[in-house]
Amino acid sequence: MITVYNRSHDPFYNLAFEEYIFEHIQDEDVFLLWQNTPCVVVGSHQNICREVHVPSLRKLQIPVVRRSSGGGTVYHDLGNVNYTYITGTDGMVDYARCMQPVIEALHAIGVPAEKNRTCDIAIGAQKISGSAQRMCRGRVLHHGTLLFSSDLAVLDQITTHRKNDCFQTKGTLSDICSVTNICDHLAQPMTVEEFQERLLDKMLPPGSARLELTQREQAEVCRLRDEKYRSWEWTWGMTPAFSYEKSGTFAGTPITVRYRAKKGIVFDAAIDCAAIDEAQAAAALNGARLDPEGFSAICRALAPEQADALMDWLL
Amino acid sequence: MEKQVTMPKLRPEMERGVLCAWLKEEGETVTAGEPLFEIETDKVVNQIEATESGVLKKQLYEEGDTVSVETPVAVLETK
Repeated sequence: MITVYNRSHDPFYNLAFEEYIFEHIQDEDVFLLWQNTPCVVVGSHQNICREVHVPSLRKLQIPVVRRSSGGGTVYHDLGNVNYTYITGTDGMVDYARCMQPVIEALHAIGVPAEKNRTCDIAIGAQKISGSAQRMCRGRVLHHGTLLFSSDLAVLDQITTHRKNDCFQTKGTLSDICSVTNICDHLAQPMTVEEFQERLLDKMLPPGSARLELTQREQAEVCRLRDEKYRSWEWTWGMTPAFSYEKSGTFAGTPITVRYRAKKGIVFDAAIDCAAIDEAQAAAALNGARLDPEGFSAICRALAPEQADALMDWLL
Repeated sequence: MEKQVTMPKLRPEMERGVLCAWLKEEGETVTAGEPLFEIETDKVVNQIEATESGVLKKQLYEEGDTVSVETPVAVLETK
């Protein structure tokens, strides 16, 4: 087992870093620890708009990043520690094999953690860690969150309170769980930095290689970050096909918004509302990319005085 | 010869999986070992590789469809 240090807190870079390691280190088991500044990370085949309230995240300037593993939506901040465990696989899904070493390392540093459900780690009945995997070419990338001292109020607000059932979609839905922070269950207090150092020391056998990427390798990670993880094609274009319908009152008159999207491109769009130029709306939406920035521009064009209010009807 | 490619069973408890993405289009040539499609089950995304070379003749499901294990999802025309 080896590790490669990653001190970046940029979620786009960090997911690219992890993928780069997965693609390039083929003959060793790898264990990584990394942290992101506040962001939402969605599963490979999830509908972002169904899982989180995109207009609210835009206002809070919290980015949404799509990862390449399965599973549901998570909120990360600097109180959360992510781990990645890359190893060989016979192709069968086996979470316990990947989680057991982490649970044992947690025990060794005084965290009373136990496996819960298929791929969670909990203290008592409260979840401290969720995990997901990606498999290809006989290798498995298993990664998970470890809530150490996260802002659980923000996490709850973002991941549980704004599910949007206006989206009829085939994508993966998230589970909602009761969570707790590791720091509230320690006999001896430690900082999040100490937690990571101790966890890494327990995970790596003595004498294991602790590597850093070269500048050339870091440049490759940056290229992957820009070409994949920051791209519209990956984040929004990968949205599973869906249909959307929402009705209510906008600017004092009834409104119904309907559209469908496939590969992130809107079609069959119509806004029925006396306060909106319906022909202009259909022309602007049909063929548009599913994209918060683009939708915001469409709202400003259709309802210059109430663009933010209209945005709530579109996503 | 036509060969059917099925939804694999990746855990003893697995009953169905989601066919998330086709990585080859109908009519495309596939080499053994190349990824053919991606499935998701139990928070695992797994690239399923072709075990034989040939041409992908038919995709039997659309992206996003849930498919029972061991059900054919693709037809491969092998030599």
